[in-house]
Amino acid sequence: MNILHPSSIFVPTDAKQTPCLLGARCDECATVVFPKMPVCPACQTNGSMREVQIGRTGKLFSHTIARFAPKGFVAPFFQVFVDLPEGPRIFALVGAECPVEAGVLEDGMDMRLVLEPLADTPENSDLLTYKYVPAGRPEQRTSGHA
Amino acid sequence: MREVAIIGVGAHATGQFTEKALKDLAYTAIWNTLDDAGAEPSDINVAYVGNSLGGLLTGQEGVRGQVVLQHSGITGIPVINVENACASAATALRGAWLEVASGAADVALAVGVEKMFVGDSARTISALSAVSEVDLSEMGMQFTTSYAIHPKINLKGKMAEYGWTSADFAKPAVKNSFNGSLNPLAQHRRPLSIEQVVQSRIVVDPLTLFMCASISDGAAAAIVCPVEMAPRFTSKLPVRIASCVLRSGMYRLPDDGFTDSATVSAQAAYEEAGIGPDDLNAIELHDAMAPAELMLYERLGLCAPGEGPRLIDEGITTLSGRIPVNPSGGLCSRGHPVGATGLLQIAELVWQMRGEAGARQIEKRPKVTMAQNQGGLLLGQDSAVYGVTILKT
Ligand SMILES: [Zn+2]
Repeated sequence: MNILHPSSIFVPTDAKQTPCLLGARCDECATVVFPKMPVCPACQTNGSMREVQIGRTGKLFSHTIARFAPKGFVAPFFQVFVDLPEGPRIFALVGAECPVEAGVLEDGMDMRLVLEPLADTPENSDLLTYKYVPAGRPEQRTSGHA
Repeated sequence: MREVAIIGVGAHATGQFTEKALKDLAYTAIWNTLDDAGAEPSDINVAYVGNSLGGLLTGQEGVRGQVVLQHSGITGIPVINVENACASAATALRGAWLEVASGAADVALAVGVEKMFVGDSARTISALSAVSEVDLSEMGMQFTTSYAIHPKINLKGKMAEYGWTSADFAKPAVKNSFNGSLNPLAQHRRPLSIEQVVQSRIVVDPLTLFMCASISDGAAAAIVCPVEMAPRFTSKLPVRIASCVLRSGMYRLPDDGFTDSATVSAQAAYEEAGIGPDDLNAIELHDAMAPAELMLYERLGLCAPGEGPRLIDEGITTLSGRIPVNPSGGLCSRGHPVGATGLLQIAELVWQMRGEAGARQIEKRPKVTMAQNQGGLLLGQDSAVYGVTILKT
């Protein structure tokens, strides 16, 4: 399976590893960004950003259900922003195990990263990306990186 | 810098014009503007042509400006093609203003044109997504989503923070649909009720169909020259450009305490013009989603945070109020052909300031007005582009 934004995602190669995002942390001011950037957006230092593993968990900042989908997606689908404990607040989709219904997600809830195909459509079913699901739910096997 | 006046404006109606190409839409706007200014193609020294989606939607990726201008009889002069998402036209106007203000040119033309009806709305929606950074659009991010939940706009969050309701969200759409019903150039001319707006289909919770600007074809233009040169062309009231500000968004970190870029760009425009929000007599602003108008009230300094719905409840921003906002009908009613919108706003304000706005004419002719246009979305920002123009007579 291909990976959407491969430089942004750590895909495990053995069972002991867990997937995560690849962000960058500034040596000068400790700002963490996602996705990676070569220049720190906070202190504008060039060359101070080092890759860091982030985003295995997060807290839901905001969420909505889109009732119309752009090409390659299926409506309805959740769209969310997640606060990562390392600092960034990122846009994300929600894993398929989470039913797309009002009341299922609540801002502030603990979330957990999963790797899944981008969407169940001919265009995107073979494209692996990161998504988040409520952390309380049982661990599911992430597909597509065997 | 020289003081610059707008001596002519013109537009093509907004809506669906299946039989018309980009250059046909632009032709109507350009020649209405030339006629309005009393100018000939040979008077134009330089032209800036704003368009956002023409490459993806019409296949005309390059030299769109030269193509549409040649169709209107304007050739040989410097032509600058401008792509700046939904703020392409405000950016084109800034280019024309700068040419004249700097003394590089005496007479400059700014055009904004967009062709969005191409017989496949899915293609149009994908093209619209592509005016944001592709890392986001590839993940299914849409403009509607960003207005609903993006940290720096987060209209859904405002419902919790301010107690705004779905009915509050509908208020700008209702007000603007009334204004648009009086505008012969408007795409949607049916006055809407709160109930109709609230009960229309949900697009992205909490935004409903009638809260969102729709796909549109359209074009608008303006001609500018030094203020003292204006009488050579026209006896109409010259409208001076008091400030013409362009800003990009900034990378934002959660809770960084920075002032948002809509506020920053408006403040820069006020400062350059030497005025404040209380001096404005009319505003055309970027209500791509109706409830964004409520947020822009506070960001443009018209009210304190959370007080937006009150400005409509008390009639302050209605057509007969102290500061009418979106007298044209705004993006949701007048229409939002994205690369034309900034100049449609300018044309409306010029008509209002001259007293030529017909049934929607603001009774006390506005003397100081603002056009606020924004567009695009980058990772880590609210919008990518902000254009704010203040006009004075
Ligand atoms: Zn730094």
